[in-house]
Amino acid sequence: MKKKRVLSLLLATVMIASLAAGCGSGGGGSENGEEQVTLTILAGQSTTDAGIEDMIDEAMAEKYPEVTLEWECVDWGNDFQPKMQQYMQSGLPDIMIGKAQDVATYAPQGILGEIDGQYLDRGLDAARENVTIDGKTYGLVYNAMYQGVYYNRTMFEENGWEVPETQEDLQAIIDDCKEKGIVPFASHMIDTWAIGNVTMQFMMNDVFNKDPEWGDKFRAGETSFSDSKEAQTAYQYNKLIYDNTYPDTFSLEETACDAKMVQGEAAMKVSGSWSIQSFLDIDENFDFGIFPFPNQTGDSKLIFEPNITIMTSAETEHQDAVNKFLDVLTSDKDLAVEILDYTKTASMLKDVTPTFDNPSQSDIDKYAAEGRIVDVTLGNNQLIWGGFQEENAKDIAAWLQGDETFEQCLEASDGRVDASSAQ
Amino acid sequence: MKGNKISALEKKMSRQYFILVLPGFIIFTIGLILPLILAIRYSFTTWDGMSPEKPFVGFQNYIDLWKDSDFRNAWWFTIRFTIWNTIIQNIGALLLAVILDAGIRAKKIYRAVFFIPCLISALVVGFVWMKMFSNVLPALNDLLGTEFNFLLFGQKETVLAGLLIANNWQWIGYWMLIYLAGLQSVPGDLYEAAKVDGAGAIKRFFKITIPMLAPAITICVVGITTGSLKVYDLLVSSTRGGPGRASTSVIYQTYTTAINGRQYGYGSAMSVTLVVVLLLVALIQVKGLKKKEVQA
Repeated sequence: MKKKRVLSLLLATVMIASLAAGCGSGGGGSENGEEQVTLTILAGQSTTDAGIEDMIDEAMAEKYPEVTLEWECVDWGNDFQPKMQQYMQSGLPDIMIGKAQDVATYAPQGILGEIDGQYLDRGLDAARENVTIDGKTYGLVYNAMYQGVYYNRTMFEENGWEVPETQEDLQAIIDDCKEKGIVPFASHMIDTWAIGNVTMQFMMNDVFNKDPEWGDKFRAGETSFSDSKEAQTAYQYNKLIYDNTYPDTFSLEETACDAKMVQGEAAMKVSGSWSIQSFLDIDENFDFGIFPFPNQTGDSKLIFEPNITIMTSAETEHQDAVNKFLDVLTSDKDLAVEILDYTKTASMLKDVTPTFDNPSQSDIDKYAAEGRIVDVTLGNNQLIWGGFQEENAKDIAAWLQGDETFEQCLEASDGRVDASSAQ
Repeated sequence: MKGNKISALEKKMSRQYFILVLPGFIIFTIGLILPLILAIRYSFTTWDGMSPEKPFVGFQNYIDLWKDSDFRNAWWFTIRFTIWNTIIQNIGALLLAVILDAGIRAKKIYRAVFFIPCLISALVVGFVWMKMFSNVLPALNDLLGTEFNFLLFGQKETVLAGLLIANNWQWIGYWMLIYLAGLQSVPGDLYEAAKVDGAGAIKRFFKITIPMLAPAITICVVGITTGSLKVYDLLVSSTRGGPGRASTSVIYQTYTTAINGRQYGYGSAMSVTLVVVLLLVALIQVKGLKKKEVQA
């Protein structure tokens, strides 16, 4: 009996000792003696971004094996904002990945940490402007997308269509398309976000390029959707698309829509760089270009949207590890190229160029050389997405479906004035 | 002495009951009662869900709700969805139950087939039916050379019908099982006595089956009604509240207002009104249907 007790005691001691040893080796330090740190990351991703977390994990493990990343990847459009609200009550993750416009929403709450200049200096200066508030930069913009009208280059050449600069030019192409049985615009209006997205493109060229403070004036009661001819024109372009697109646009998903365009059923699509991934997945030889949607004055610009934007928590207990994360992202050029090639986006880091074959790059370069590129963050900060643009898009869809009059649609936007700003 | 013993036993029993109830009570309070109290509190503020300040505005949010056409539209859709769902699902489930109770061949297979959809998440059901209406059924049109309009989710006039098809496909088998259990508990001699008295099949159905099924009807009507009033997940993966706002339910509107729109206070007011309506509807239905059960 006594022997049994001694044996049990010994066994228990061995078990506790082995557990303690296990804890010691796993949690305290790494092979090179550095302390193991786990960083939590909330990543609000676009569809094109899903998967880049594995690439970053690999690069981090190579350079800083003592830092482990714990990812929570969510859809930026639907889930990033709810998650941020939740974490603002319970404690933020160390790192948040969203879009440049998120900085304007969360920085004034005092929850974001300032990004160290040494990492920002590795990025393009153009990336800083819209993530800087009161002289402090709270976001590191990693890549960018372009938005405009993607067009089937082969179809344009075969039909002798020139890239349109004015609404009249565009109408001529639409008329010719209809005559030849080609659908002028590919669209998937089942996705309300797509309506919201193109409406901001229209607003940029007809409203914000003329008056960058239109949103402030709207809130001050100096203008409104019901009064502004420019804003109304931007809304009316949705009707132009709707009247010249697939009849089943409200039932058509994005991939099916893109497939139809690649297969030559449609000539153009008002969209963004996220479509490139889809186009090239369907047909790697698809030849396409991009031009800005023509505005009323014929001087529209290609839309540029800073996309992946890294923000850090002001309260993080692992600032050193966070800096290591920023270091890998901004210094590892192979990783950057891998991410850019995968997401089919443009670089916002100095001396980094993606290697994927982008048929629309020559058009982008042309508009860049002419100074005809504008950052949409301006518009998205003036009139925010969640609760405003997103809701307005639903009313635009209701108007297109005949469920609301145009005047009701405008009034609905005016009625949301209090929700139009993050402040 | 005996009285004291009983009292001690009763006390002991009461203590045991209390201990048994306590875990459920704690979970219910933390998970339901406290959030409800907080929601009521927030509904009197203009809190955005982020900032530490929660400015008190009294009943302003509730006053604004009356003027909010989007909220009224959401209620209108929810009410229509609930009424149609309650009618179709109850009648359909009862008919299926009667057919399966009639001793047809392979009834176990049918029962399983009808029941399986309710095991699938509503999110998946929404996605499946979106594909059905957008891709699968239109492809059938091409195959058969027909021109049926299957794009039900894409038009404001037909989106409700599309959602009713998806929702009934998922849940009809579940309610059918409840009716089936009720049917199988009806004593056979009641039917025999009625037959002897010369009652036909229809008369027996309305005079015996329906009254004897009253408890099952109560469960099904209340369950379907409250479930339909809370419809959300089906919409997320199928119509996303559209086209436009044509299929935006109260919960969908509440979520987008409170979370995406950063109007937590206003959204809380929306959810409080929904809770009140749910309680009222359930109360009225249970009271009304229980009366029938007594008469039966």
